[in-house]
Amino acid sequence: MSRKKLLQAEEEENEINLTPMLDVVFIMLIFFIVTATFIKEAGIQVERPDTFTADTQDDAAILIAISPNDEIWIDRQERDPRAVRGIIERLHAENPKGSIVIQADEGSTHETLVIVMEAAKAAGVTNVAIASDNQ
Amino acid sequence: MRKHLEDIHVDEEENEINLTPMLDVVFIMLIFFIVTASFIKEAGIDVNRPDAPMTESKPEDANILVTIDANDDIWIERRIIDPRAVRANIERLHAENPEGSVVIQANKSSSNKALVQVMDSARLAGVYNISIADSR
Repeated sequence: MSRKKLLQAEEEENEINLTPMLDVVFIMLIFFIVTATFIKEAGIQVERPDTFTADTQDDAAILIAISPNDEIWIDRQERDPRAVRGIIERLHAENPKGSIVIQADEGSTHETLVIVMEAAKAAGVTNVAIASDNQ
Repeated sequence: MRKHLEDIHVDEEENEINLTPMLDVVFIMLIFFIVTASFIKEAGIDVNRPDAPMTESKPEDANILVTIDANDDIWIERRIIDPRAVRANIERLHAENPEGSVVIQANKSSSNKALVQVMDSARLAGVYNISIADSR
């Protein structure tokens, strides 16, 4: 009987201590929660113009794509030009610090770009950039 | 006496909280946040909108005006400029007037490729203050 108890005690001492691993896992969890930024992707692939001086847009939160046929894509859907302002307002409220990046295709016209930029301005977003590919 | 102590010892062990379910939940949350973490890095050029009253009150000739017409031709000072020569022209005008910013007036049906090319040329020429004029 006493020998059995001794064995049990030994087994317990051989068990791995989980506390440090738990600490690490919690710290990783907090890191990923804090750094999680939910970027609204546009949903289509566009041919970006080539540039030499593009900066990385770190705080981009809303991506708006303009297709070669001047369709406006936000959040994986094609949008009516008149509805763009409301959508930007709604998405901007979710992440007020984020900026807008307009992915305008090389062949899209300036008119559509101005419509999107006017909508962003009307929605109160001043930080707007045009996406490009660095050469 | 010895028997009594062992009893208390066993009791304590049974009262310990079982951490396994919490560990499961934490791991699932961890995996969720790792999977949803999107590290999208978008490259782009910032645009200044001439919305501040300061910009509008500036005299017209204080800025470098670049016009893009419907055929994507680039006009500076009433001449058509080759896209490769835009940088040199902006550099020259910027040297004459270091305070001025570049204002781009683009036709409604001009392509965005020409616009971004002009913006890139201006940045290569050292002018980072670029505005797009309101066409309406």
